Amino acid sequence: MKTHLLRIAALASAVLLTASAVSCTGKENTQKKISLSWWGGESRHEATMNAVKAFEEKHEDIKLDVKFGAWDGWEDAMTAAFYAGTQTDIVQINWNWLDVFNSNGNLFLDLNTVSDHLDLSGYSQAELDPCTFDGALEAVPVSLTGRIFYWNRTIFEKAGLDVPSSLKDLFTAGEVFRKKLGEDCYPLALAEYDRMMLMVYYLGAQYGKPWIRNGRLNYTRDEIRKGVEFIDSLEKGHVIPSIAEISGDGSVTFDRSPKWMNGKYAGIFEWDSAASKYSNALEGNGDFVVGDYFSDFGRYKGGYSKISLAFAVSKKTEHPEECAEFLDFILNDPEGTALMGVERGIPISRNAVKSCEAAGMLKGIEKEANDKVLAGTSFSFDIKFEDPKLKTSPEGIYFDAFSGLSYGEYSAEKAAEIISDGVRKVLGETGK
Amino acid sequence: MKRTKTADLILIYSVLTFIGIIMIYPLLWMISATFKTNSEVTSGLSLLIKEPVPDGYLALVNNYGGNINCIKALFNTYVYLVPKVIFTLISSLFTAYGFARYNFPMKKLLFGLLISSMFLPDAVMIIPQFILFSKLGMVDSPLYTALVVPSVFAYDTYFVFLLVQFLKGVPSELDDAARIDGCSSFQILFHIIAPVLKPALVSCAVFQFIWTSNDFMGPLLYVNTPSAYPLQVYIRLAMDAESGFQYNRVLASALLAVIPSLIVFFCSQRSFTDSITSGAVKG
Repeated sequence: MKTHLLRIAALASAVLLTASAVSCTGKENTQKKISLSWWGGESRHEATMNAVKAFEEKHEDIKLDVKFGAWDGWEDAMTAAFYAGTQTDIVQINWNWLDVFNSNGNLFLDLNTVSDHLDLSGYSQAELDPCTFDGALEAVPVSLTGRIFYWNRTIFEKAGLDVPSSLKDLFTAGEVFRKKLGEDCYPLALAEYDRMMLMVYYLGAQYGKPWIRNGRLNYTRDEIRKGVEFIDSLEKGHVIPSIAEISGDGSVTFDRSPKWMNGKYAGIFEWDSAASKYSNALEGNGDFVVGDYFSDFGRYKGGYSKISLAFAVSKKTEHPEECAEFLDFILNDPEGTALMGVERGIPISRNAVKSCEAAGMLKGIEKEANDKVLAGTSFSFDIKFEDPKLKTSPEGIYFDAFSGLSYGEYSAEKAAEIISDGVRKVLGETGK
Repeated sequence: MKRTKTADLILIYSVLTFIGIIMIYPLLWMISATFKTNSEVTSGLSLLIKEPVPDGYLALVNNYGGNINCIKALFNTYVYLVPKVIFTLISSLFTAYGFARYNFPMKKLLFGLLISSMFLPDAVMIIPQFILFSKLGMVDSPLYTALVVPSVFAYDTYFVFLLVQFLKGVPSELDDAARIDGCSSFQILFHIIAPVLKPALVSCAVFQFIWTSNDFMGPLLYVNTPSAYPLQVYIRLAMDAESGFQYNRVLASALLAVIPSLIVFFCSQRSFTDSITSGAVKG
């Protein structure tokens, strides 16, 4: 028995030794290792892995270690990694992470320092500004996104209507839906955060000024109240279901909601990049179309856009130049950009747009939605707009204000006060 | 008399069957939903499948980015789960034995500290623990050390508490008798205490097995290489909030994840229920 054990132990150590000896020889020594992380769905994983492989074939001296996952839990894992300083060399970031995790500016590399390896000519300065802090370019934006209406045209046709192109149409649809399709059918569905978004778009169109300017809330409490009353009027006019009703559906997002799949909700106000998710959820049971911004929303063009996501390079990386090379490959190189495709939204980089166009990728509903968003946009979101204290569900300010309003706990006045005070607090404004 | 007995039996069994069906319905629904399309999954609670589709199961062997599929993820899970369960049992048994049978300075204080750590929410521990483990170079180790090592030090104090409570019910005369017969402390632990504690140990093992198979945050933090992802992380890979997901695929992989837990539970069922009831008759 004992000799048997000894033999096994000897064999095991022999195997281990050989394995380590093998790994010490060969390319490993000359290869520079960089790591890359991203979140996303299956098609994004596949596209990015293909780009990584193509890059490694071109640059035999560089080896990429990848880490990827789904969005759920990803932000928590990255939080821990940022605190411990174990983030990957290249990180796909949410734009507001530049603010949330990086307030002292020593997390990400200033990409201007590697401009020999990363061509930024595909971007205008205005496009890079949102990622620039104290002159340091901390990330390169990948795509711009904004909210837009999507309609399930089949349902509107069932009610004898065309998809709404004005606010008036929308309110008419609310009444017609109630009479013809039933109490539980609505032309539009908005959860708390969607309501906040729509309100900000509405106010932008009404007053023609951005929500936050120079780090200060740009709206008075009275003006916000007007926006809150607008949202309230939608609910009262049977245009949108109450928050209680939406919660009762038991789905986190509308694409998983049976009421969206079965056509009880005929419209949403969502990111342009989310089109295929909602369209797929209908499984061919509805004609999914991109809507227009309403002409009678207000005198101004009130749309907003923001950077949907960006790539940053960790300051701790040992190979900043190699990281920049890789970024250049996926943002500018004809082969790399075509492999990455539009998996992270319609790219901003002119060079990427060119190769995606050549590959016939710039078509379909997402492109249409993105075009409409960019055409309807006159403002960009402030980086604090999505601050966790405001945006998180269910304890964030937006959620508190709009669910309280819908449940009848708050008056429009009170909800406006909560939003105004909450936003000012996050912005660090003192006094009212 | 006999008739009433049969009637009683019928009544009891029909009530039990009815409740049993209610209990097992979600599991049956899960199995049937693995063959359904998304719209059918969300449209009702029926077990009947209108148009069965095998997509969910076919997707199990699909490789994500050429790195990981469901079968590999399942294997990865057991690579750290089995040692973790074994280490938990050994370390908790040692710790509990010490606290229950020996007197040493500050025993009460230390036991109090141990128990109070039971009430620390996990969320508080995540970042300090992550920083510690990453300084020790245990993040993304191929042997999952960050996930296994804590169990070597009786990290899950709940089990220590459980075993100490059980040990209190085991008369110390047993130890004395063994000691007179010439047993050392370790021999007493392994030949006398451990066999008596078997039901409690089994329940510790079952709990640890189930908790570890359900733990998502741990592997997400400490495993960075996609090809080493365990099943919990793998299932989430198929559930992306941005691009939408197929329920049948998620449920099929979840079913695969549940089967081993079910087998473990059924195999250890007798000891497990023993351990729950054995405390009931103590006076």
